[in-house]
Amino acid sequence: MWQRRAFLRAAGAGFAAALLPHRAEALERAELVFASSIQKREGGFAAALVSERGRVISTIALPERGHDITFSPTGQGVVFARQPGTFAVIFDPSGASQPQTLTSVEGRHFFGHGAFSPDGKLLYATENDFDNARGVIGIYDVAGGYARIGEFDTFGTGPHEMLLMPDGETFVVANGGIETHPDYGRTELNLETMDPSIAFIGRRSGGLIGQMRLDSGLHQLSIRHMAFDHQSRVWFGCQFRGPSADRPQLVGYATRDGEIRLIELPEATLGNLRNYVGSVAASADGGLIGVSSPEGNTILAIDPDTATVVASLGLENGCGIAPDSVGLLASSGEGALSGLAGSPAPLTTFELNFDNHLRLLKAV
Amino acid sequence: MRLLLAVLFTLMAAPSIAEEQKLTAKDVVSLAINEAIRPGFAQYAVETTALQQGVAELCDAPSEVNLDAARDAFKSAVTAWSRVELYRLGPLMTENRYDKVLFWPDRKGIALRQVQGVLADADLDATDPTKLGGKSVAMQGLGALEFLLFGTDAEQLTTAAGAFRCHYSRAIATLQADTAATLSAEWNDPAGISKRLLEPSESDPDYRSFREVAEALTGLLAHGTEAIRDQRLLPFLGRDGAAPKPKSALFWRSGMTVPSINANFEGLRALLEKSRIAEATTAENLWVSNSATFEFGNAERAGKVVTEPVEQALQDPKQKKALDYLVIVTQSLDTILGENLAAALGLSVGFSSLDGD
Repeated sequence: MWQRRAFLRAAGAGFAAALLPHRAEALERAELVFASSIQKREGGFAAALVSERGRVISTIALPERGHDITFSPTGQGVVFARQPGTFAVIFDPSGASQPQTLTSVEGRHFFGHGAFSPDGKLLYATENDFDNARGVIGIYDVAGGYARIGEFDTFGTGPHEMLLMPDGETFVVANGGIETHPDYGRTELNLETMDPSIAFIGRRSGGLIGQMRLDSGLHQLSIRHMAFDHQSRVWFGCQFRGPSADRPQLVGYATRDGEIRLIELPEATLGNLRNYVGSVAASADGGLIGVSSPEGNTILAIDPDTATVVASLGLENGCGIAPDSVGLLASSGEGALSGLAGSPAPLTTFELNFDNHLRLLKAV
Repeated sequence: MRLLLAVLFTLMAAPSIAEEQKLTAKDVVSLAINEAIRPGFAQYAVETTALQQGVAELCDAPSEVNLDAARDAFKSAVTAWSRVELYRLGPLMTENRYDKVLFWPDRKGIALRQVQGVLADADLDATDPTKLGGKSVAMQGLGALEFLLFGTDAEQLTTAAGAFRCHYSRAIATLQADTAATLSAEWNDPAGISKRLLEPSESDPDYRSFREVAEALTGLLAHGTEAIRDQRLLPFLGRDGAAPKPKSALFWRSGMTVPSINANFEGLRALLEKSRIAEATTAENLWVSNSATFEFGNAERAGKVVTEPVEQALQDPKQKKALDYLVIVTQSLDTILGENLAAALGLSVGFSSLDGD
């Protein structure tokens, strides 16, 4: 997993010389490094690399609020604008090259998530064809300066997170089902007629391999975030847009074979999620699925084999989740970072506000 | 959002301040309900009753005078509605009431299409409030009624030729008055939403503690300024230098676009100031409360500069500038209400859960 020596070698002498003292020290001390969009306390937005022990290793300034960060197999990072943002910033975590800003094409904006091809040559991003209320995957050619070379349909409205399956050939996309149009900001325009789904899409062809929906009575359950367990099942977390007094189940899994189900969380546990799952992430071995609710100040670790909660953490405004080698870490909008479910990471507080997603930076 | 809860939390955690001002968390909630929310919905109920009567009189005796009176009643009802429509919790957010009062945003013009369909077919069901209430929300709201009273061929209402149009208008006005009366009654019910807010409990799905009540109330403020900008101003001003689209404005036919926006600001200001929520801050942070008042004052002044219906106002550089300035005011208020207020109360700003993603 995390190999700091390899990281330093790959970065080269120029990189080492450019390190701030604490940056070099953080790497030297074998700390895990995580990436997240942040809001600065003094105002303004950035992407940040932080260590599990509370150090800010570096920040990359952003023009507006960012959302998720994804890394290429060759180590490049991309931070996407939060919807309905129109930028994505490509950065080198080592700081060896200047960040590059992408702008979405006319008629599209980003939804905040994306993925690289297994060889790192193509970048894919969930985008909104907003005049047609149609979700698309924008395709960008890395070697061509991230030129947009095409797009696929997501077969739904309001796609949010997309992941490349472990087979390297199939995308899974959470079509949240919510129509938005930049003329109206983030206003949700179709709550009565939402049609959320999970779509499996061929990475090369863009063809629909399979699409799954929950029961029709759950059409206001927006499927937003996902992670894979050790059986390559797609665990997903939902946000409910129906009456706030209702408490539908929010967490489930789907398979490429066509199974989709919501697991039964106990009533009190479900109540703590406040109809809002903000992120889903798996442990390093896929044996734990973390789900978070910043609305309910709750992080849960679920055993995917038994579909039961095995650990929980109360964390004010907690949302981001990422694995370490043994358990999970969670980050919060108050700047906290804390381990759970076996992670030895102590509660650490940063002078910044973490955005919704936390990613472990892997060495290349 | 977190900041709200932050507010009440500080009220409870900083007894020195709370004691000085004799304000408890419950006081703030009580003031919000009694001084801002209940009077707002009561006024809205009064104005929609007047609207119902005005339209009924127009139908009984079609004339220009009675059409003018009905139109004036519509404008007063819109103003009263706009003062409370950002109090988006409890009674307003159940049973699709918000959408039934006002179907907006309506990017595809669904309401107009449906209303024109009803007029073309002379669908008698639309003149019966009970039957109309079971139909599409888009054809029974203030947007539909505005078209009937102010839109193409509305002058038919001055003669018997407009009987069907008038009876459809009357059915809408009746539904509006019924909904307003229900909302006001539910807010006044001592065992209803007010009890839930004043006596939060573990068994309540939404309000388990004063922290969560405070979250909800403060959320109304921060989300309210965002709604004014994203749902009311920018759709017709145009984003990022795009050409203005006056016919994408809410209530452009009645000239109520900007008066409605002004009333939106008034409603938020009333909630902030009457609840005294911002007073629970330290002396050196009183600027936050002052800043909010200052910006609401700016909004009020800019709003007064816009004197013409939005289509003409956009042609006048001075009025256009005032409209653009209102966008800037909402951005300032976002920061003040969504960030500074919480910080002034000594707590970090909630961030992740500000709204969905």
